[in-house]
Amino acid sequence: MSDRPDETADIREAREAPGPILRKAPGPTSWFDVRKRGTGHWAFSMNRITGLGLVFYLYLHLIVLSQLLRGPAAWHGFLEVATTPIFLGLDVLLLAGLLVHGLNGLRVALIGTGLVPDRQKALFWSFTVIGTILLLGGALHIAGSR
Amino acid sequence: MRVDRDPATGRRSRAWTATTLSGLALLVLVTIHMVAHHFVVDEIGGLRTYSQVLDYIGNPVILVLELALLVTVTVHAMLGLRSVLFDFGLSARGRRNVTRGLVALGMLTIGYGVVLIGVLASRA
Amino acid sequence: MVAAQDVADPVRTFRVFRFAREDGPSRFDAFDVPVSAAATVLDGLRHIRLHLDPTLSVRHSCFHASCGTCGVRVNGREALACVTAIADLSDGDITVEPMANLPVLSDLVVDMAPFVERFPPEHPLTRTSERPLSDASAYVRFEDCIECGLCLSACPVAATDDTYVGPAALAYAQRVLEEARGGDRDAILAWADRDDAAWRCHAAFECTEACPSDVRPAQRIMALRRVLTLGGSAAS
Repeated sequence: MSDRPDETADIREAREAPGPILRKAPGPTSWFDVRKRGTGHWAFSMNRITGLGLVFYLYLHLIVLSQLLRGPAAWHGFLEVATTPIFLGLDVLLLAGLLVHGLNGLRVALIGTGLVPDRQKALFWSFTVIGTILLLGGALHIAGSR
Repeated sequence: MRVDRDPATGRRSRAWTATTLSGLALLVLVTIHMVAHHFVVDEIGGLRTYSQVLDYIGNPVILVLELALLVTVTVHAMLGLRSVLFDFGLSARGRRNVTRGLVALGMLTIGYGVVLIGVLASRA
Repeated sequence: MVAAQDVADPVRTFRVFRFAREDGPSRFDAFDVPVSAAATVLDGLRHIRLHLDPTLSVRHSCFHASCGTCGVRVNGREALACVTAIADLSDGDITVEPMANLPVLSDLVVDMAPFVERFPPEHPLTRTSERPLSDASAYVRFEDCIECGLCLSACPVAATDDTYVGPAALAYAQRVLEEARGGDRDAILAWADRDDAAWRCHAAFECTEACPSDVRPAQRIMALRRVLTLGGSAAS
């Protein structure tokens, strides 16, 4: 290296202004890109989507509940919409979101406290089964109430 | 690629612990809430009419449970949003600002919810 | 090594990521490479360098998954090129890219300095064992990490957060807690207990999936969290 000082300068130049950093997907879409990923990543992605969805729902819910302040007629108007099949379907979607987020949160709590650190796949699949059963039960009940 | 290490250390686990504990509490509170509002009254979807809502919220035990749900869900939501925002790789100052902003948003949310519940409970 | 049988070897198309600072934006170059039955991705890349394009920048050393030098992404998944058998890949083009989340210096070579800089500042290269080895009835290989960087490439948090110290550094911290051998336990705990360290992980477990050396960094991060929240030992 001592008889080629330019090489050192080239390396220094490359280091100080490095090239592009490649990402698996642009920006935060990498959180949701589950192609070629394992169950742990699916769980992370679903937890994040349902979490953001539920935050949106929280505020939507507070806005909707504000209709109660306007008295029985206003609330009845909301109920007419809320008991349509489409809306009940959205309720089932909400239930799905809650189950996904809740069960995955339980999974993260169990592995994150190190109580069950090495069984994340088993937890993922067993909670998927439990969640599916609960969702089907809830969906049938909501549909049957019509 | 010089990275400034976060100087704040020590008991950074509090946010994670609070998220986990509020999450576990929500497993119970949300279940109660969903059952109460979808599976109890004999209406379509289990949804209560105006007078049924007032009857419901007039019960002091229910009032406490709904307030607990409001606070717990808001805390959990704010902590969750904080975690998502932190994943963008913020500076130490950015993290502090995000935390302060979400604390403010959380307090506004809880405040509005308390007013809403209070007004309805007073009509019961 | 070209031998007479290579004429009969099937040909696979490699799509290789190319980047050089003086050439502007990156691109993919296609190469038709004869591959024998036992050929690895590294064999293919070396064939390209030796016979098709000597300007291709590739890092490798030991050929047996021990040095951690040849980390790349093959068909979108993290892998050590030297032990990735072409026969195990699906049919079609073989896409080879550099690891993600680290700056590309040239083609498949990334700057590993930001990877190393994420480790705790106290990073003793050797630590002294407390008992003489002759006392041991059996040996367990403890330090599996070959610092290849595949875990950092796979991590979805590192994809958006360049301040996150990453799985390798956290796994290292957990190993110091599990077996200090002269390392500073309190300094390690303070280092790990930060929003850009142990609390940024979201249990996606992609690091454990990608690790070629059975380090299981995700499980180690969970054990580290248990120490930070519940105290106790850091056994994973």
